[in-house]
Amino acid sequence: MTLQTQNIWNGRIGTVTIGADRAHGGTRTLQYTLGGEQDLAAVGPGATQQRPLIAAEICDDPGIWSPIVNTFMGDTVNDTAGWAGTMESEYHPDIVRLHLTSTRKRNFKDFSGIPETVSGVLKSTGLPLIIEGSNDPSIDSEVYQKCGEASSGERVLLGTAEAGRYRSIAAAAMAYNHCIIAQSPIDINLAKQLNILLKEIGVPYDRILIDPYTGALGYGFEYSYSVMERIRYAALKGDQDLAMTMISAAPDSLNIREVREARDDETDRTAATWEFYTAFSAVIAGASIVCVRHPLAIPLLKSAIDSIWPHSAGREA
Amino acid sequence: MALKALDIYKLLPKKNCKECGDPTCLTFAMKLASGKGDIEKCPYLDDHAKSVLGASTKPPVRKIKIGVGERAFVVGEEFVQFRHEKTFYHPPGIMVSVSDTQTKPEIEQIVTNVRDYVLTRIGMDLRLNGIAIRNDSNNPEQFGTAVSYAEGCADLPVVLMAGTLAAAEAGLHECGNYRPIVHCATRENYREYCSLTKKSGAVLAIRAGTPDEMAELSTLCTEAGQDALLLDLSSRSLRQFINDSTIIRQHAITRTTPSLGYPVFYDATIPDNADAALVLGILKYGAVIVIGPPTRPSEKALLTLRQNIYTDPQKPIQMTAGLYRVGNPGKDAPVLMTVNFSLTYFTLQGYLESSRVSCYMLIVDTEGLSVLTAVAAGKLNETMVRDAIKKYGVENEVSHRTLIIPGYASPLSGRIEEETGWKVLVGPRDAAEIGEYLETEWKA
Repeated sequence: MTLQTQNIWNGRIGTVTIGADRAHGGTRTLQYTLGGEQDLAAVGPGATQQRPLIAAEICDDPGIWSPIVNTFMGDTVNDTAGWAGTMESEYHPDIVRLHLTSTRKRNFKDFSGIPETVSGVLKSTGLPLIIEGSNDPSIDSEVYQKCGEASSGERVLLGTAEAGRYRSIAAAAMAYNHCIIAQSPIDINLAKQLNILLKEIGVPYDRILIDPYTGALGYGFEYSYSVMERIRYAALKGDQDLAMTMISAAPDSLNIREVREARDDETDRTAATWEFYTAFSAVIAGASIVCVRHPLAIPLLKSAIDSIWPHSAGREA
Repeated sequence: MALKALDIYKLLPKKNCKECGDPTCLTFAMKLASGKGDIEKCPYLDDHAKSVLGASTKPPVRKIKIGVGERAFVVGEEFVQFRHEKTFYHPPGIMVSVSDTQTKPEIEQIVTNVRDYVLTRIGMDLRLNGIAIRNDSNNPEQFGTAVSYAEGCADLPVVLMAGTLAAAEAGLHECGNYRPIVHCATRENYREYCSLTKKSGAVLAIRAGTPDEMAELSTLCTEAGQDALLLDLSSRSLRQFINDSTIIRQHAITRTTPSLGYPVFYDATIPDNADAALVLGILKYGAVIVIGPPTRPSEKALLTLRQNIYTDPQKPIQMTAGLYRVGNPGKDAPVLMTVNFSLTYFTLQGYLESSRVSCYMLIVDTEGLSVLTAVAAGKLNETMVRDAIKKYGVENEVSHRTLIIPGYASPLSGRIEEETGWKVLVGPRDAAEIGEYLETEWKA
């Protein structure tokens, strides 16, 4: 006899394609198809498992970014496109996630700056992109329209839709053929509900990634970890409305006390370690994309993920 | 398969003698059914009842105590594959390794750190648990000496990573009475290890290459009289560990392979991926995890992750309701009301501290629910806010009458104003924005 795992699954995670290379109408040097798993993360035969991806987060206004990252990167953070290029060439993430933090300013009006920023980043990196638009409903429509248009053909992942504000982003995704992040506050039922709402306005399920919201390690991470496990479990049990790939980012990781108050000579190491522990745990709970801000977290994650998923599946020729 | 409480009750003497410590046979039966009772506590069971109950009322993963004294810890006694199904009960013991080729001061430095390091989070003291001494010298005498160095400076639980029977003997000579873990017995030498560890009451880690071989080996050990076992699959890769450990946990909790019903031992000292191995050990059912001396960032992160994963999801950690100060608030300092869910409290408190605005936090008892859930479930309402203002004497602390409430509590703003007579300002939904909010919106 050979003892096996005993979970009985009858579902499968749906697939989603992010990025478009030249053969698919874009300019990315590669594109990824995620999903398709039929078991828990890293459990079962390797062939059914896609390698999770690492997204490096950057922004266009470092004024509201982690001072730890700003100090570590130096002047680079003032040149958004250059920052994206540096992340790709020096730290080798799989994806770049651009936060348009400039839109968070009060009375933001510089809509014409958005296409400029986005195309600058698209030129400086060949990696597929995630673009995070505004978080103010009154400017959503214009911001997402500009993001979508500027990255037309590149099949980016647009973030972030929530219950109550998803129409602008869904419209931009549909108009320009992009994917979207659907975020719900650490609740499996709300995650499902948002997916159904999106489906009702015409967003197909192969364009949606679930972001169940990730609390920082030590500050609610356990809830996020369990919600990710539950979503993966429900999907594998056959719940189509939850069978999307998941994306996890813990935006507060670098603001928490343990990281803020680390000794000066340990600040970067603490920041990277904290992000690593959170993101790697999220991968094991079932996340397909994990996002980090400190560049030094990337090699830690890469080494761990590579040792579990040595093949580079997820990449599509 | 597990028996129901009433089935168990039928086999009990029904005397309600209380000698087991429970008030009635039925409550004892309920305890047994949940896997939390011990049939040995009933003095009146006949052999038949014992044999029926013995197998089905034991926790599916055997409970094992490691070490003695204050720092002793318990592992095993787990019931579920996912923490959301119920909870994980006993956090893994983290054992920091030293080598018997290190000098006395080197060993003592590592042992002292494990003895003294404490991380206090959310009102809990988190510690590393013990020391693993590795036989790298291949010399039993030197191994014994290294064990005596470790024992000499702290009463910590230890793992004797002896490798050979002679070294295990030398190690047990130094710490045999303190319930150490002896690592490790294999198919070839289990008899000798079983009799050696049984004699001194030590716990035995056994090693096999696959779950199947492990099931056989553990059966052989119990037949040889040793059932204080830990299972070491010596997993060759991280992926192998996840798979092996998942198989062991499932077969144990479903009781399909009871011989796998023992806690898992994991040597996570994997070069280049030590943090990754440790994370997997914590997430995927490791019960005793051996690591190299951790860096300070890893030490904090690992203890925090372990605390998170082993937090009982059925009981949110709660703060005591009351009025809390941040900085040195004066009469004109802002008062921010929120709920007693500890996470809400600590998150808000962290952002308030970094905003450097002295203020009061008025914590209302919502039974540990978050703002959003408390409002939805009616566990936060205007009369509770009014009563809290009175009960904690907020009116004597500040000269103004303005209360800042969380963004998610905005539906209650009008009713709180009416009920308290205070002016209500609706704050941000996200605590991260509280600093900017106070800067722009707050005037006493």
